[in-house]
Amino acid sequence: MLPLLQLTLAVTTPACAAPLAPYGLGTEPPVKFAVYADVVYTGTGSKYENAMVVLADGKIAAITPGVEAGDGDVHVAAITPGMVDLSAHIWAGGNSVEETEEVTPAFRVAGTLDPFSRDWDRQLKHGVTTVVANPYDNNCIGGLSVALKTGGAPTIEARTVKADVALRGAMGTQPSSKNHPAAGRPTDFYSRRPTTRMGVEWTWRKAMYDALQAEGDEERAFDGLPELLRALDGDLPVFVQAWATQDIRTAIFLKEEMAREGKPGMRLIIDAGAEAWREIDLVVRTKAAVVLPPFTESGRTTDGAFFAADCAAKLHEKGVPLALSSHNARTVGTYLEHQAAYARRGGLEFDAALAAVTINPARMVGIDDRVGSIEVGKDGDLALWNGTPFELTSRVVGVVLEGELIEDPRGE
Amino acid sequence: MFNGLIVAALAFLPGEVDAPKPATLARTLAFRADVVYRGDGTSIDDGVILVKEGVITQVGSGLEIPEGAAIVDHDGAISAGLIALHSEDGAGAELYDSTRIVLAEAEARHAFAPEHADFDRALAAGITALVLAPSSSSLIGGQSAVVKTSGGRVVKPAAQLALSLSRDALHTNRFPTSYAGAIEELERRFGEPEGPVARAASGSLPVLIDVNDRAETLRAIGFAQRFGLKGALYGSYWAEEIAPQIAGSGLDVICTPFDVGDDSRSARAVVALAKEGVRLGFGLDAPERHPGSLRFGAAACVRAGLETAKARKALTGDAAAIAGVAGRIGRVARGLDADLVLWSGDPVALTSSIQAVYVDGELVHGGSK
Repeated sequence: MLPLLQLTLAVTTPACAAPLAPYGLGTEPPVKFAVYADVVYTGTGSKYENAMVVLADGKIAAITPGVEAGDGDVHVAAITPGMVDLSAHIWAGGNSVEETEEVTPAFRVAGTLDPFSRDWDRQLKHGVTTVVANPYDNNCIGGLSVALKTGGAPTIEARTVKADVALRGAMGTQPSSKNHPAAGRPTDFYSRRPTTRMGVEWTWRKAMYDALQAEGDEERAFDGLPELLRALDGDLPVFVQAWATQDIRTAIFLKEEMAREGKPGMRLIIDAGAEAWREIDLVVRTKAAVVLPPFTESGRTTDGAFFAADCAAKLHEKGVPLALSSHNARTVGTYLEHQAAYARRGGLEFDAALAAVTINPARMVGIDDRVGSIEVGKDGDLALWNGTPFELTSRVVGVVLEGELIEDPRGE
Repeated sequence: MFNGLIVAALAFLPGEVDAPKPATLARTLAFRADVVYRGDGTSIDDGVILVKEGVITQVGSGLEIPEGAAIVDHDGAISAGLIALHSEDGAGAELYDSTRIVLAEAEARHAFAPEHADFDRALAAGITALVLAPSSSSLIGGQSAVVKTSGGRVVKPAAQLALSLSRDALHTNRFPTSYAGAIEELERRFGEPEGPVARAASGSLPVLIDVNDRAETLRAIGFAQRFGLKGALYGSYWAEEIAPQIAGSGLDVICTPFDVGDDSRSARAVVALAKEGVRLGFGLDAPERHPGSLRFGAAACVRAGLETAKARKALTGDAAAIAGVAGRIGRVARGLDADLVLWSGDPVALTSSIQAVYVDGELVHGGSK
C-alpha cells in the first residue's frame, strides 16, 4: 500500500486502515464504503490521483489520495461529482404550467411531476444526480422551480433537495405562441396578450411594476406578489428562458430597470442563452449567470438563435457564471455529459467544463451546500467514468447517489 | 319474449328512484343448481334459492320447496347478477358536459335512455346492474347512478361524486391546464359549506376519482386523505408498484377495463391490489367496450394469480358494496333482489356460457319460460 496522505478534513486513520467490505448492487449499502479512481476531480478545481472517496451515511466522509483498490473494489478511471442540470427533461409537459393566466408566480411545478417517469432514470444513468424541474415555458412567468435528486424513493417529497429554488419564466416566442387576438367574441382564454415579443416584455414589466406598487400596500396585494417581491429582492433567482439576442437583452434590461426602481438585488439566470456570446459585455455588466442549451450540429437553435461552438469558452473567459444543460432534450447526444464534451471542443478548459455541469449550477440555485462538488460532508453523489471525463471515448459507467451504488461499473 | 319487458320498462320514467318492480309471479320461484356462488366469496353445493315477488327469501342446501312453486332446475352454477362499476350504457356522450369544470349537481340518472339496446347487450353478458358515471373530462363531473340493466330502473340515484385527477380533466383552453391547478380548484370546492361536494367532504357521499398513471393516483390519494374522503379510485393499470399506498388510503379500486391484447401489467396490478387487501370491482365503459369484456377482465386476473373467489366477489358482492348498494343487490342472500345468472360453469372461467339471466325474479335473457 502506498503511503496515505491525510487531507485536512479526511477520515480518521482506522477507517482508512480497515479494509472496506466489497459492496454490490442488490445488497444493503454498508454504513461505509469506498469507490476508487485513478483520478478524483472534485468539481472545484482540485484533483487527486489514485484516490478513494469514502462514503458514510449517504455523505462524503473522506477523499484520500495515494491508495490502491483491492480485489472486488469499485475502481474506475475517474470520479466526478454527480452532475447538476438546471434545465433537465423532468416535467409533465403542458400539464406542468397553469396557462389560465400568463403570470403565475405562486405556481409550484413540484405538484405536477411524475416520480415514476422514465426521465429520472435516464438522467441518473448518465451521471446527473440533481436536476431542477421548471414550469413549462408557455407562461411569461410560470412559477416556482424545484431542485430534486434523480433517484431514491419515488415521491417528490423524498427527492426534493430544495423547494422554490427559482422563479421561472420565459422571454421569446414561446410564451405568446398560443395566444391570439379576439376576432369578435373571445373564444377561450388564449384570446389575450401577449402575442408578440413586445407583449411578452410588457407582461413581465407590468408584473414587476405591479409588485413594486403593491409592496407594503395591503389593498393592492395579489396572488403571486410575495414571490415577485422575493425575486426583486434577490431572495429567489429569476430563471428566464431567452435563446435569442433580443430576448437576452430584454431580460437584462428588465433587471437593470428594476435596479433603477430601487431593486438592485435581482439575481438573473438566463436559461438557454444560445446567443449570449453576442452580448457578452451586457451579460458581464449585469452580472447575470448563463445556462446554455444543448449544442446542435448546425448551431441553429430555437427562436432562430445561433449557438456558436465557442459560446461557453467565451463566456467563461469573461468570468460569466456558466452552466451547461440538456434543456428538456432527451435524444442521444443531448445528455449533460455530452454537452461538456461539446463545450470542450469549443475551447472551454476542462476545469471550467466540469464546474459548468457540477458546482456552478448548484451555486446558481443555492444548493451548493449539499451537491455539486466532492467535499467532505456533502451528499454522496458521484459519477464514475471509464476514462477522462468529456472525451469522446469516455462515458459514465457508474453512479453513486446519496452513498448508494446505483449503477455498478464492475458489470461493464 | 322481450316485448313484454319493454312495455314494462316504458311504464316507468327514466331516472325514477326505486320505482316499483314490474309485476312478478306471485308464486314462489325455486332455483336448484349444482353450485350457488353467493357473491361474498362463499358457495353452496346443490343449492336452492327461493324467490318470491322478485326478492330472494331463502338460500341453502337441501331446502324444502314450497308446494306450487315453479321450479327451475339448472345443471350448472348460479351467481348474483354481475355489476359493472363504471359505464356509459344508454347514455354515451350525455355523460360528458364540457361547459363547466365543476358540475357537482349534475346527475347521471338523467342522462340515459332506459330502453337502449346497450342494456340488452349488458344483460346478455350477465350484467344486471351498472354504475353510470359522469365523464372524467370535468374536475367534478357530477353524481353517478346505479341502474338495473333490465328496464333501466335506478337502484341508487346519487351513488358517488365523480372527481377526475386524470389528465383528461386538464384542458388546453380553460382552467385548469395543470395538475397543480386541478388540485387547487378541488381544494377550493371542498371548502364549500353545502351541496354534493360538502356531502362528499363529510363522508356521506362517496367519491369516485378517475386516475390514470401512478403520479395521478398518488396525487388523488393525497387529496382524499387530506379531506378524509371515502370512495373508490377508477383506474388500476399502473397500480402494481403503488399497491401498498393504495391499500393504506382505505379507498376501493375500480379496475381499468381490459382489452384483448393488453399487456400483463393490467392483470398484475389487480393481483397486487388484491394481495394488499384492497376491495376491488371492475369498470366496463360500454358501449365503447363490449360488455363481455367485464368477465374477460376478471378471467385475465385469475390467470395472473387472482383467487377465483375474489374475482367472483369483485364482479358481484364487492362491486355492490363499492357502489353502496350491498343491501339491495350483488349477493345471493335473503332479502336481496333476485338478480341471478345461470351459468354452465364457473362465471370467471371463459369456457362457461350464460344460459339465463333473471332480474327481480323475472327471466330477462335466455332460458325458456
